Amino acid sequence: MNDQNQSRLLQWAAFFLFLQSVILTLAPAVRERTWDVDYRIAHWFGLLAWGVFTFLAHRVLNKYLPERDPYIFPVAALLSGWGLLSIWRLDESFGIRQTAWLGVSLIVLIASARFLKNLTFLKNYKYIFLTSGLLITALTLLFGTNPMGIGPRLWLGVGGIYFQPSEPLKILLVIYLSAYLADRANIRLLSIPLLIPTLIVTGLALLLLVVQRDLGTASIFIFLFTIFLFIASGKRRLLFGTGAFLLTALLLGYFFIDIIHIRVVGWLNPWDDPSGNSYQIIQSLLAVANGGTLGRGLGIGSPLLVPVAISDFIFSAIAEETGLIGTVGLICLIWLILARGMIIALRAPDNFRRYLAAGITAYLGVQSLLIIGGNLRLLPLTGVTLPFVSYGGSSLLTSFIALYLLLVISNVEDAEPAPLQNPHPYTILAGIFALGLAACALTSAWWAIARGDDLLARTDNPRRAIADRFVLRGEIVDNNNQPISITTGESGSYTREYLYPELAPVTGYTHPVYGQAGLEASLDDYLRGLQGNPTSLILWNQLIYGTPPPGLDVRLSLDLSLQSAADNLLSEHRGTILLMNAETGEVLVMASHPTYDPNKLDEEGDSLSQDKDSPLINRATQGLYPLGDALLPLIKAQFGDDSFSDAELLGFYDELGIFRSPLITLPVAEAFQTDDIADLRASPLQVALATAALTYQGILPAPRIATAVNTLEQGWVVLPALDQPKEVIQTQAAEEAALSFIQEGEVFWSHIAVGRINQTTVTWLTAGTPPNWQGAPLTLVMALEENNPSLVEQIGSQLFNTLLSK
Amino acid sequence: MSGVLVLALRLLTALALYGFLGWALVFLYREIYRQGTILTTRRIPGISIMIRYAGKPGTLRYFNQAEITIGRDPGCDIPLQDDTISARHAHLTYHHNQWWLEDLASTNGTQLNDTPITLPTVITSKDEIRCGSVVLAISLSENVIIEPTQRLGKKNQPKSQQ
Repeated sequence: MNDQNQSRLLQWAAFFLFLQSVILTLAPAVRERTWDVDYRIAHWFGLLAWGVFTFLAHRVLNKYLPERDPYIFPVAALLSGWGLLSIWRLDESFGIRQTAWLGVSLIVLIASARFLKNLTFLKNYKYIFLTSGLLITALTLLFGTNPMGIGPRLWLGVGGIYFQPSEPLKILLVIYLSAYLADRANIRLLSIPLLIPTLIVTGLALLLLVVQRDLGTASIFIFLFTIFLFIASGKRRLLFGTGAFLLTALLLGYFFIDIIHIRVVGWLNPWDDPSGNSYQIIQSLLAVANGGTLGRGLGIGSPLLVPVAISDFIFSAIAEETGLIGTVGLICLIWLILARGMIIALRAPDNFRRYLAAGITAYLGVQSLLIIGGNLRLLPLTGVTLPFVSYGGSSLLTSFIALYLLLVISNVEDAEPAPLQNPHPYTILAGIFALGLAACALTSAWWAIARGDDLLARTDNPRRAIADRFVLRGEIVDNNNQPISITTGESGSYTREYLYPELAPVTGYTHPVYGQAGLEASLDDYLRGLQGNPTSLILWNQLIYGTPPPGLDVRLSLDLSLQSAADNLLSEHRGTILLMNAETGEVLVMASHPTYDPNKLDEEGDSLSQDKDSPLINRATQGLYPLGDALLPLIKAQFGDDSFSDAELLGFYDELGIFRSPLITLPVAEAFQTDDIADLRASPLQVALATAALTYQGILPAPRIATAVNTLEQGWVVLPALDQPKEVIQTQAAEEAALSFIQEGEVFWSHIAVGRINQTTVTWLTAGTPPNWQGAPLTLVMALEENNPSLVEQIGSQLFNTLLSK
Repeated sequence: MSGVLVLALRLLTALALYGFLGWALVFLYREIYRQGTILTTRRIPGISIMIRYAGKPGTLRYFNQAEITIGRDPGCDIPLQDDTISARHAHLTYHHNQWWLEDLASTNGTQLNDTPITLPTVITSKDEIRCGSVVLAISLSENVIIEPTQRLGKKNQPKSQQ
């Protein structure tokens, strides 16, 4: 029966790993959405090695350990295969190493099961084992290295092979404590026999913590020792005592030991420092959130964004690519091993083997809980590995030695279990592990589902920028469908190209490092396909690709030929030109100088934000200039030649929308609020809207710049204005005032004014088509950051002539 | 479409993972079931006990259960009406393929073949247990499992004869 069960479970494990491998092979095709890709095949070598060694181990176990527990080997095989594929997915060079280590571990398991079925030698030579373990660990104090170059120096390295002695030391400690306590029945707390192991364990833990800065192993030693004492003595107060001790130690460490301080702060309050000390944990939570329920599929997520994803954060890497379904399954597998371990302990024929089985189970359980809880911000982060799953030769080998010990202990034939005085330690321990794993599963669900959308919307989620490389972003085109900003390249290396760079302050940019600005930011939902597409399409793309659907093109009201004329006229002068259809509020020209080239953002991005000329600012909507009497024609229209008070004038300005930010799909400046006419400031867009009222029937139009979006189902769909037009002066009065501002020899009305507050001077031009105009009524506003009325007049005249000649 | 194919594979993967867990649960259930069956059908050799009060003729009792308690308490399997017997005096248990006698801290103690016992002790046929002034003579039967009564007829004839 045992052999059949084990064989059936191994078949399921192999089936699971085979499917995962197929997904990993196909992953590049899914990411780039084409069949013409380089498929990933290297990991099949890892799977093959897994299959061969697992099959051999299965045969040997059947033959030499016939009465063993039939569950734990298939579970360990599934976990190690799952980890192996995840490591191949993350980094193929580490995949090869892990495959080699898995081979070594399984050979050790096979050889031990074949030749070492009697465990009494462990008991007899416990001091030799412990001492040699301690000595090798002590060597790391002198010759320790870290394969990654930085971080705690916990490894011994020879010729490119690294080994971490503190991993097998955990098992050696378990063996020593089992043998020591099994020799002494009825252990009493606070007695001399307990002094030696207590000193050894606490001294070791402190040494590891202070000298090696290895918080994870130190805490595992403390937990293991507590669990051993609890099992041997059955005193529940021991758990509370250790709990209080650890809490005190945590508090002391918080104040005096920096590594504990960093971890505790990062645990309690990660959101304060998302790019510094809490970077890892927040990226880990983002990975869990991105996994959602079903996961992205192996090779389709972005788990490499989490630092050290192959070892410490492999749980979040698995969570991202197999989702909540995968993590709950993983947690169940770990629970299965722990539960069987406890049963093996209870069925063990003598105290030594019982303590040993319980200690090994505790080692696997504590380490799994510490790292899964750490990945999910349920516990402070301790850099330990997930047994069987994480990358690491020492860790994998130690896990398989633990497995071998459990298998041998479970292989009892016709022997009654040793008598048990007090079953509580075992039931309580099993209960604690079950509760801890259940808490891990619930926390996974919390981050993946309840908080998933919030997390993924964070600006420090790099997955949005990654999605932009694989999904076509919508184009921005002008009112004649001339492209302004387009996306070029192949899927996987899409880049944004800006064909009319002078418009950069208006259209903005989208960049993986510098984020988004201008229309690229305000129209992002359309350009990214999250708005304007059917919800079912968005959900479907999220499900199969984990990205938004291809973006939609947006048409602007801007006219590139007029825009280039305005840009040429403005050239090196600092200022802005706005040309607007006075009837519809559509912006035809929006020039803001100085400008910049968004195509060169990679090189210039940092210096641009420091530039004193603020080229990133869209002066037309974000610049607030001294108003002066730029709106004199409107005042004329409202008040005629009558005198008026300041309060009346302010009231009129309020009517004209000077104290209100215009509603348009662009970043706009907060409207300037003041009671002092001399201190009044306004943005060129506000002035243009007011001027439009003079040009066309006294109606303040609703401004628009994005006019239509090209949807899949209905083609171009009009984007409505965000505001309502409003009548502010009487048509008759507006027309009369406009006529009175037509200069000699010109066909349009115009007015030049200079606004000045302190050192800031601006020359305004407000102009528009006359009331009897046959074509579309147009209004022009220019603000030049210098005192130069003649230049303004010249540019205005030339621009109108260009306009009229069209 | 690669995406749809991989989506199907992802669903299948989840199925495989839970297939593993499901089978593990099925095996666990089977193990419990088998363990239960083994324990209920374990053969307990019957035990016959001749109970003799001092100076009276004995009465013979037959038992086919794993634990037999002896004491003054009427709830015991062998209630003994004698002042020298404690309420729960001793018990006989069957495990490790043996019948064991264990004294339950009785006032007057339990003797096996005139030797007082302190630890659980294995008993065999023709042993004599003395609780206070009562003597219990043991006789174990080798083959006491009585097969269920079979109905005779054609249906129950062995296959080899057909």
